[in-house]
Amino acid sequence: MRAQRMRRTPLSVILGLLFLSMAATSKCLGKYHELLLQLQRQADLMQDTSTLLDPYIRIQGLDTPGLKEHCRECPGAFPSEDALRGLSRQGFLRTLNATLGLVLHRLTALYQDLPEAQQLVGLNIRGFRSNIHCMTLLLRSSSEAETPEPTQPGPGPTPPPTPPSDAFQHKLKSCRFLRGYHCFMHSVGQVLREWGESRSRSRSRRHSPRRAPGDTAPSGPCRGGARRMWPFRRDRRLMPRGHLPR
Amino acid sequence: MSQEDPAGENYRTTVKRNRVLHWSWESKLPLECAAHFIRMRSMVDDARIPKPGFWSNWSSWEEADAQNSLGHDPLFVFPKDKLVEEGSNVTICYVSRIHQDNISCYLEGVQIYGERLDRSVSAFELKNVSFIRKKGTNVFCKVDQGGALGGIVLFVSKVLEEPKDFSCETQDLKTLTCTWDPGSDTGLSKQPSQSYTLFESFSGKKTLCKHRNWCNWQVAQDSQETYNFTLVAENYLRKRSVSILFNLTQRVHPMTPYNLFPKNVRATNATMTWKVHSIGNNSTLLCRLELLAEGKVIQQHNVSIKVNGEYLLSELEPDTEYVARVRCAYTNHFWKWSELISQKFNTAEAAPSEAPDVWRNMKMVSGHPTVSLFWKPLSKVHANGKILFYNVIVENLDKPSRLEVLSIPAPARSTELTLDQCSYQIHVTAHNNVGPSPASVIVISGDPGNEEVESGRVNGTEDGFSVSWKPQSGDATGYVVEWCDGPQDLPCVLQWKNLGPNTTSTVISSGAFRPGVRYNFRIYEISAKRMAHLLEKKAGYLEELAPSDNPQVVMSNLTSHSFTLSWKDYSTESQPGFIQGYHVYLKPKAGEQCPPAFEKTVLPEDSVCCKHTIDNPEQKTFVVENLQPESIYEFFVTPYTSVGEGPLDAFTKITTPDEYSHILIRIILPMIFCVLIVMIICYLKRQWLKEKCYPDIPDPYKSSVLSLIKSKENPHLTIMNVNDCVPDAIEVINKPEGSKIQFLGTRKSLTETEFTKPACIYLLPTEKNYSGPGPCICFENFTYNQAASDFASCGHFPVTPQAPPHQLGPLTSPENLLKALEQNYMNSLGEIPAGEANLNYVSQLASPTSGDKDSLPTNPPEPALCSEYKMQMAIPLGLASAPPSENSSLSSATLLGQGEHYR
Repeated sequence: MRAQRMRRTPLSVILGLLFLSMAATSKCLGKYHELLLQLQRQADLMQDTSTLLDPYIRIQGLDTPGLKEHCRECPGAFPSEDALRGLSRQGFLRTLNATLGLVLHRLTALYQDLPEAQQLVGLNIRGFRSNIHCMTLLLRSSSEAETPEPTQPGPGPTPPPTPPSDAFQHKLKSCRFLRGYHCFMHSVGQVLREWGESRSRSRSRRHSPRRAPGDTAPSGPCRGGARRMWPFRRDRRLMPRGHLPR
Repeated sequence: MSQEDPAGENYRTTVKRNRVLHWSWESKLPLECAAHFIRMRSMVDDARIPKPGFWSNWSSWEEADAQNSLGHDPLFVFPKDKLVEEGSNVTICYVSRIHQDNISCYLEGVQIYGERLDRSVSAFELKNVSFIRKKGTNVFCKVDQGGALGGIVLFVSKVLEEPKDFSCETQDLKTLTCTWDPGSDTGLSKQPSQSYTLFESFSGKKTLCKHRNWCNWQVAQDSQETYNFTLVAENYLRKRSVSILFNLTQRVHPMTPYNLFPKNVRATNATMTWKVHSIGNNSTLLCRLELLAEGKVIQQHNVSIKVNGEYLLSELEPDTEYVARVRCAYTNHFWKWSELISQKFNTAEAAPSEAPDVWRNMKMVSGHPTVSLFWKPLSKVHANGKILFYNVIVENLDKPSRLEVLSIPAPARSTELTLDQCSYQIHVTAHNNVGPSPASVIVISGDPGNEEVESGRVNGTEDGFSVSWKPQSGDATGYVVEWCDGPQDLPCVLQWKNLGPNTTSTVISSGAFRPGVRYNFRIYEISAKRMAHLLEKKAGYLEELAPSDNPQVVMSNLTSHSFTLSWKDYSTESQPGFIQGYHVYLKPKAGEQCPPAFEKTVLPEDSVCCKHTIDNPEQKTFVVENLQPESIYEFFVTPYTSVGEGPLDAFTKITTPDEYSHILIRIILPMIFCVLIVMIICYLKRQWLKEKCYPDIPDPYKSSVLSLIKSKENPHLTIMNVNDCVPDAIEVINKPEGSKIQFLGTRKSLTETEFTKPACIYLLPTEKNYSGPGPCICFENFTYNQAASDFASCGHFPVTPQAPPHQLGPLTSPENLLKALEQNYMNSLGEIPAGEANLNYVSQLASPTSGDKDSLPTNPPEPALCSEYKMQMAIPLGLASAPPSENSSLSSATLLGQGEHYR
């Protein structure tokens, strides 16, 4: 574990630098709700299996009975929805950013298998991470005094892929990884949606905590979605004044 | 290959001292599937030792068992990631750690069946495997109801093909370019695409090609002329090679010429110039210059050049677009033409080279001959440029006058001239930018002459209409056939064809000709004076069709035995074929035979009817005869051409009348007419008839008698109101004593009243209180003359029962009354106005015997006393009042009971 942490440190430094560089170059939306909505939509887009998983299954010939059902998400490869809910907003964004960085790295290894899709998904992930950065800045401006919260130590992103033992295992692992990625983005979308709901609830406590009729989340790629939990503890202090829910 | 059933393979080699032997051997069965064993023995192979030598003993078996290092997974499949060629046989196996029997294996989802090697190992032989995808063929095994899954990817490569069409050439004698057809790509995830290496045997050089189908080779500076190239295609599984041997100068493929331009372009010639890339030093190239017009090569010239090329193209058409193209080849040894370079250019314009083809159409408009001039646009070959306008010059041939010049801008193709009765010569020229064309001359005669000629028929064929004619005069300079391209009911698009003087037939063809359309052709003879005379008329169809519609048939003259059909409005000219006649169909009533002149036929709908054929297209009436009276017939008329008859329309139904109805009509109609005449006359003469037949009853108020009485006797006299007149009743009692009298009218029995006095006539008073018998004579005066009524018995003359009948008064006697009236009348005649001079008095003395004899006693009393007197007076019509009713005539006597009064 220690060795793993040691390997992870320079990687997180690189990602952090990348994060900062994006912060310096990109122009962020100043409105919390617009940014949140954009993040939700991006998460919805990225959880769509037709962008990555489905083409992969088809190209690799895994769409045959007996094989398809073995393309399941590996438990623990990505943070679960409950784990994401348990994070503070800042922690959630950090975890999300770090996980997507690893996904991006892993996708690069899949380039030969999915050259076109990989390129498109790579662009989506970069755009999403840019918005994560903007949201982080927005939240940080609202609570300067907040002590930095470490990334959730629980089930974290998958470690860098080890060379596959054989092509068959490689196919299955890649397939499971891609499904895990889509599931993870589905969970991210759910959590982001709850951010919006928590604001509505804080405005009017009489309102039902259920999702508004017009606010429909796409059905996720994961089997048996995670149990719905009340979002975020102690997160009111993170809201920026004038922008975030009061 | 199980341990119980070993299958061996021998390998034999020579080993030298101090040399380590390496033997690589690939088992058909993956090593992980079963333990493999090896042993060896040796024999001295030395020339110094006589043969045969002796083998040593076998060494002990050495075991190679890969299963021990598999790990702890429940299920393994081998061989992993094996690369084979398409069509190979591959043996795979699974090794199970769970020792279960329910393990199934699948090749791309399709279950495969194999051989069980031991309790935990089964082998499967895949024969003739085929390429499925670049990502490999998935083979997997799984426990049927468990989650364990093991699999492999079998990479099946396509078989590497030998490169085809391998050749090399140079464009500049400096670089050789070799090309080939690589065939299928054998690249997989496991294996890159095949590589190509070019090897030249004379120089010993080789190069790895960067492209799949071509490779460049730098020509050596040492003037190597001959090259022997070998192209080697290679992948992980196989090598393929192909070689060529050639001389460099025989493989020169020059580069495409450049800078091809026209120079000094005129109407009929132009000079083309171009350049080529030089090959080596002082090399000559053979260039081919081609000239194309409308996509076809019309000229071809070979030019030998070094660098610059030039050629004069002649015999060109003015104002024409041409394409010039050039390609070159190496002169020393022809190998290939270079690629082509093309250039378009247009030659300059020239004056039109031919007179326009002109024709005319003459007609009279408001008494003036009007000429419509038509001309065809010049073909591109003859126009020599864009035609801008046409000049029409009209020259009067009969009297000297100024030339009339009309300039008609293109693209007009006709004009109209209004002339007089003189002859005119018309010149038509076409003009472009350069100048006019030769003139086309036509002469119009003021006298149109007799244009009536006989019409003939012309047959249409696939090629058109074959029209022929007979020349009339020997000095014809040509003939013109004119026609209209469209149907007759559309405006005529005049077409014509000029023919030479020795021609007597031609074929008229046009893309506008359609089947079923009648075309009329006129053949004109052109005289030496350039005047046209109509020779013949022809009509024909490109292809005759059956009539498309049937005539509107009118039925008339319907009798009990015949009726007439007519369709005079039917035009035979506008039909899709020459009408040859008509078919008249008749459906008689069931069971009836066809009338004479009809024959039985079967219609397309299988119904039987009668048919009569009229073979004269101009006969448009037909009388259907010999019919049965009071019968229903159905008829239908359709024309027919040489192709067939018209469409089968609905039949028209008629019913023949009965045999006598026409006779009845002949009698009844005049009778009705006469009655109507009489009624009209009666109506018109109704006044006269009234006067003659039923004059009005005179109005008593207008009577002169009344004025006479008023003025002379009693001024207070008035006309008696009828309502006030209470008619008296006469009761005649002639009853023997003790007898009973049955009263009539009232049905009241008087049996309780018995009269014992002798028979007597009583006058019953009108007053109710009157009772008692008395003399009874009643007179009724209908003149309503008060004066007369005062004397009548209906007046209230009180008559006492005791008074005898002869004492009733001066006027109670009819004679007396008549006398008085006559006297009054005579006296008043002189006083009657002229307008009333025609008044008549009708007096009537009615005898009781002339009345109802039954109601009167059979034994009347004194005739003079029991008479009834009636008197009438006539008055002018205008004063007439309603005539009295019959009841008021009182022609009968009524018996009333005593004390009762009846009015």
